[in-house]
Amino acid sequence: MAEGEIASPARALRPEFTGSGGEYFRVWVVNLLFSLLTLGIYSAWAKVRKKKYLYGNTRLDGDSFDYFARPETILKGRIVAVAALIAYALAGELHPESRFAFWAVAAVAAPWVIVRSLIFNARNSAWRGLRFHFNGTPGGAARVFLGLLAVTVVTLGLAYPWFVARRKRFVLGNHALGSSRFGCEVSTASFYWLYLRAALMQIGLLMPVGALAFYAVQSLRAYPTLAPVVFALPVIAAYAAYAVVYGYLQARTTNLLWNGAYGPGLRFASDLRARKLIGIYFGNILAAVLSVGLLIPWAVVRTLKYRLSCLQVIVEQETVHQADPAFARVGATGQELGDFFNLDLGI
Amino acid sequence: MSVFKARYFDGQRSVAHEVSVVLGGGALKIVGRDVELLLDPRRVRVAPRVANAPRWIYLPGGGACALEDNDALDALAGAGGFARILHRLETRPAWAALALALVVAALWALIDRGVPAVAEQVALRIPPATETDLGRHTLASLDHYWMRPSKLTAERRAMLSAEFAALAAGAPDLPPHRLAFRTSPAIGPNAFALPGGTIVITDQLVNLAQSDQEVMAVLAHELGHLAHRHVMRRLLQGSATALIIAGVTGDVASTTSLAASAPVVLLQAKFSRDFEREADRYGIALLRKDHISPRNFALILERLEKVAKARHRRGLPGFLASHPPTREREALVRETAGG
Repeated sequence: MAEGEIASPARALRPEFTGSGGEYFRVWVVNLLFSLLTLGIYSAWAKVRKKKYLYGNTRLDGDSFDYFARPETILKGRIVAVAALIAYALAGELHPESRFAFWAVAAVAAPWVIVRSLIFNARNSAWRGLRFHFNGTPGGAARVFLGLLAVTVVTLGLAYPWFVARRKRFVLGNHALGSSRFGCEVSTASFYWLYLRAALMQIGLLMPVGALAFYAVQSLRAYPTLAPVVFALPVIAAYAAYAVVYGYLQARTTNLLWNGAYGPGLRFASDLRARKLIGIYFGNILAAVLSVGLLIPWAVVRTLKYRLSCLQVIVEQETVHQADPAFARVGATGQELGDFFNLDLGI
Repeated sequence: MSVFKARYFDGQRSVAHEVSVVLGGGALKIVGRDVELLLDPRRVRVAPRVANAPRWIYLPGGGACALEDNDALDALAGAGGFARILHRLETRPAWAALALALVVAALWALIDRGVPAVAEQVALRIPPATETDLGRHTLASLDHYWMRPSKLTAERRAMLSAEFAALAAGAPDLPPHRLAFRTSPAIGPNAFALPGGTIVITDQLVNLAQSDQEVMAVLAHELGHLAHRHVMRRLLQGSATALIIAGVTGDVASTTSLAASAPVVLLQAKFSRDFEREADRYGIALLRKDHISPRNFALILERLEKVAKARHRRGLPGFLASHPPTREREALVRETAGG
């Protein structure tokens, strides 16, 4: 790929995952063991190793991604997060009014925490020696996450699809590779269509569940010993219905989002199939339940493989991405960001 | 002199250069078509190996090289000590199987033994007064929705209170406690200890009992819950268990992790049964101190079970039940009463 070439035909690149579920399981289980034996302290190192495995085996145009966060920073964040969680749980149980104070503090801190964690994850990830960046600001996050959430509550949920569209656009559209900023344009109308269909689907699925519950309670009089089965069946059915709608929304919102995403000289395309993704989720749930969670690494790899196989990076004009001059001197080695909360929000 | 094929990135532009990395004579050379670098190997940082993912070496000045041949690099960089052991553990199937067995054992030990033991120690150090607020809220909402003031005569209540005081006097290590009488057809014959030390007893239970000794047997059991700080311990154990499960299932979508956390329900039920057993033992010991036969406890348990059966309240299998089976609890009475 010669530099400065101007009118090259578009190339479609598909990222691929070159690792395997079995290999990841071995990494996962050993790291889990160390995390348990050290009462959670090693979990920060475990997280970096697992992400290194997943990123390193994800390749785009022949080159793999890299993740190089410092475990010490993640550990600090986790200690603060766990302490906050314990304080919230204990204080909330003992003095129920204190929950309001916690929520108030959380609401004020949320935009900052969200942005810091996205920045932390982006700056510790790289492709072709260039770090990613996240350019969103706490002010922007406050508008999208708190402002629109408030609108959603006031409109009794009618604004929810709009809220989701804006939230996802904020997360994806503010990312950058070096100084190459990505953008994301999604039409709110298409999110409304999607959620309307999902709502209808939910209603259609829950009606038979309701009928099943009704019939089950009726039969309880005749066979009282069946009580546990009778109560479990509708719950499982409702959970399955939820998983179907969740998978549908995941597939379709991901497609909408990536199909509207672009960068300098490139755009993205995603063609996840809802039916396939729902099938994968059901397989994952079944495997996780039957193995009491031990098949989770297999589920992670399986889902990642499918998701990556459906994503395309369409290079319309060959572009050399440059490092962001503001961070050019930082290099790829570890940098203390003073980051406390290391949340995984994902997109 | 060792030579590796690698892809070099300068950290400034997203251009890959096919290069050879040459190490020897105390210097690191990176040579390609447009690249020629001479570096001090001591200033180069080699990323830790994870299975067979491409390995990065970070160069001074912000450049980096990706190498695919992990084994050759290990042989050269002399990945020793912990890094080598870690890599071995993470890649050999036999170690994975062993780690799996140890994970299961560690999880079991942590949740079944470690968490309850730590929760007990912590709970005993938290002053009981911290629970008062919670107890007041719980009692207020129970009073609002389910219970009405007791319809027992004032004399009857005074008598039971006096007997209760005599019973509690036998236990010097009790946190503050008081007895509250309520009537509740919805709850039925029952007694329960609330956080903060209030023990609620329903008229329905007082009327079900054939003697005051049977009422005292139930109250002795409830005092056991207070003495062992079961409210605080349930709270601590519940949060700690949820935290551990969240840590284990942390990296999957919410639907899957929700399914994987189903065992928490079973664990909560098991913790609850353990607490009941502990309260049973405490109650029986307290009764004997007050010269009341523990047989009264067995008698009232039997009556309570009969009522529960009449109300169609059975059906939960043992592993989901909050209390141990009545037969087991009666056996405990027989055992201790015999000696």
